[in-house]
Amino acid sequence: MYRTRSLYTTAGFTVNQHLFWEMLTDDQAEAIVSRTLELLERTGIDILSEDAAKTLKEAGCHVDGNRVRIPTAKSEWALRCAPSRVTLCDRNGNRAMLLENNEAHWGPGYTAKEFMEQEQNMDTNNNKIRPFTIADVEMYGKLCDTLPNISFAMPGGFPTDVDEANAEVEVFKTLVKATRKPIVQNVKNVDQAKKIIEMAAAIAGSPEKLAIDPFVALHVVVNEPLQISAEAADVVAFAAGHGLPIIVSNELVSGFTAPAESAGVLMVALANSIATLLIAQLACEGASFITGGFFTNNDTVNELHPYGSPEISLLGGGYANVLRTLRIPSFGFAGGTDAKCSDAQMGLEVALSTLCSGISGTNVIHGAGNFESGCVSNPTVLVLADEIACETKRIMRGVEMDEDRLARGVIEEVKPAGNYLATKHTRYYFRSEQFWPTLMNRKRIDDWAAEGSLTLGERTVNKMNDLLVNYEETPLPEGVDLDKIAG
Amino acid sequence: MATIEDLAQAVFDGSTSKAKKLSQELIDDGMAPLDVINQGLIAGMSEVGAQFKAGTMFVPDMMAAAEAMTAGTEVVKPLLAADDMQSLGTVFICTVKGDLHDIGKNLVVMMLESAGFNVINAGVDVSPEDIVAGVKEHHPDIIGMSALLTTTMLHMKDTIELLKEEGLRDQVKVIIGGAPVSQDFADEISADGYSPDAVSAADLAKSLVGAA
Repeated sequence: MYRTRSLYTTAGFTVNQHLFWEMLTDDQAEAIVSRTLELLERTGIDILSEDAAKTLKEAGCHVDGNRVRIPTAKSEWALRCAPSRVTLCDRNGNRAMLLENNEAHWGPGYTAKEFMEQEQNMDTNNNKIRPFTIADVEMYGKLCDTLPNISFAMPGGFPTDVDEANAEVEVFKTLVKATRKPIVQNVKNVDQAKKIIEMAAAIAGSPEKLAIDPFVALHVVVNEPLQISAEAADVVAFAAGHGLPIIVSNELVSGFTAPAESAGVLMVALANSIATLLIAQLACEGASFITGGFFTNNDTVNELHPYGSPEISLLGGGYANVLRTLRIPSFGFAGGTDAKCSDAQMGLEVALSTLCSGISGTNVIHGAGNFESGCVSNPTVLVLADEIACETKRIMRGVEMDEDRLARGVIEEVKPAGNYLATKHTRYYFRSEQFWPTLMNRKRIDDWAAEGSLTLGERTVNKMNDLLVNYEETPLPEGVDLDKIAG
Repeated sequence: MATIEDLAQAVFDGSTSKAKKLSQELIDDGMAPLDVINQGLIAGMSEVGAQFKAGTMFVPDMMAAAEAMTAGTEVVKPLLAADDMQSLGTVFICTVKGDLHDIGKNLVVMMLESAGFNVINAGVDVSPEDIVAGVKEHHPDIIGMSALLTTTMLHMKDTIELLKEEGLRDQVKVIIGGAPVSQDFADEISADGYSPDAVSAADLAKSLVGAA
């Protein structure tokens, strides 16, 4: 079993360089991996793409129709081929997201077909729900561009006012204009992938430059147990062949599309992940591959799949743990809620999932802004999640230790019953050692009341509006005609 | 060559050694001592005050800037003629009886001085009787009292009572500050003003002498 940087040793002094949460022991992770390898050999998995099934057969898998049984040796070969780390760049080619070890990066979601229109006061459920549009994608792009703790862009929802077959292409075109940050782009089929890669290559300057400094990762969804759709399999092979990072996301529901207990969910997800990983590595050995997913439970009381349940964090953290032992970068979910407005339930569900996803070391964490089982999108939650991500990062930074931070000199200087406020030591550390809120209110009650007694919801809406008013677009390189490529 | 802007920046950055060095250089270059103070040291401190008000600089930054300003002032002050500094008025300031906390009070002193007040800093643990004696001696326009403890803040009330008894209350304005103190408390003990931080304390003092 591999060991990643959980312990960091310098001159015989062992420190926790980052705080993080190992949900599974090495033995547990190994058990899940072994059983999954056995599952792929024995039960097999349905690969609905004829091309992919043919490639797998040629590589030595046992193929009977769509059913593919993958020998453990093949799975392990694919796991060995995949890089343990992937870097996503920004649109200007700067290294932006290092997907390795327990580095955590947050961003919005992509599924909602409805948009929660913001009243000035979002603390009531008077908010108007209307269809999600391409203009909303642009707004999410701008917010992702400006929010310092949001690392990547997703569209926040699915636009209903564009041609559905070409929607992801339109989304990418809109996002890439609005933000310089890396884009996690969902794709439904190879046609879409082709156009998106072509647009990205035009911006990067050439396909080769794009492969060297990729600023987009293609995201495909697997939402059946042990079945990979033809479209998903073909996109994986296509993207791998073009040198772009791939994200395979399992969207599974325990007790519905996966076993009702946690370990079983992780096994089914891992089988899907390993099968797609093998397809990617057969298309291009060494292809950058990120996997993970969104795992929730089946709420049989309300007949829906909750977006704020603790199982999402439990399963997401567990899966990130399994992937870390396999040295595959992970994809997860946080920032969704089952609340109906900006109330305490919303705050606690968003905060709990954001904290858990971070300290469990999930590398790419999507989902901030999802309401009502991912059907409704609310961008103010992204603004709130940015703040919570900042708090989470502070906790993850842990207790840093060196001679100066052990404060030897200053404690002697101040003496018992002294005050540290006036020391140089305080001046040096007071900014970097603490989280500085932009939304959380720490004013005295009187001062807060004097400024209008604004609630968190109101302050968040105000901050969002400020960000949008002050947003400045960074133009694309001259001569790049995305419309022509998008068709 | 050093410029007056460099000096203001040194104060703003809280760089004591630089503020000292630049003040000396500017004097050596022939700049008038008063200009060094007003356009350099005080200008830098005023910018710190503005940023403090805006919430982008904080108490430790302000203390560093105050220290740098003091270092510069020490270089220049001996060169000033007695009537060079136009004063907005005199402030008698102290931490009240039983209280030894003076970090905030000293910041207020710095801000008052840079605003153009003549400040008598009477230190810590000053009894109502000593304050009254100080008023008789220095005839200040304003008395500033500071307390960090809920137990010692009551001496502010005692002081105001004693000022009344001595018939001095009408001759002087009284302002108060410190963590446990509030506008409500100021109203309760009939003080003339309260301010929550050093920058607004200077503004308050200015408005009380009609200079704001």
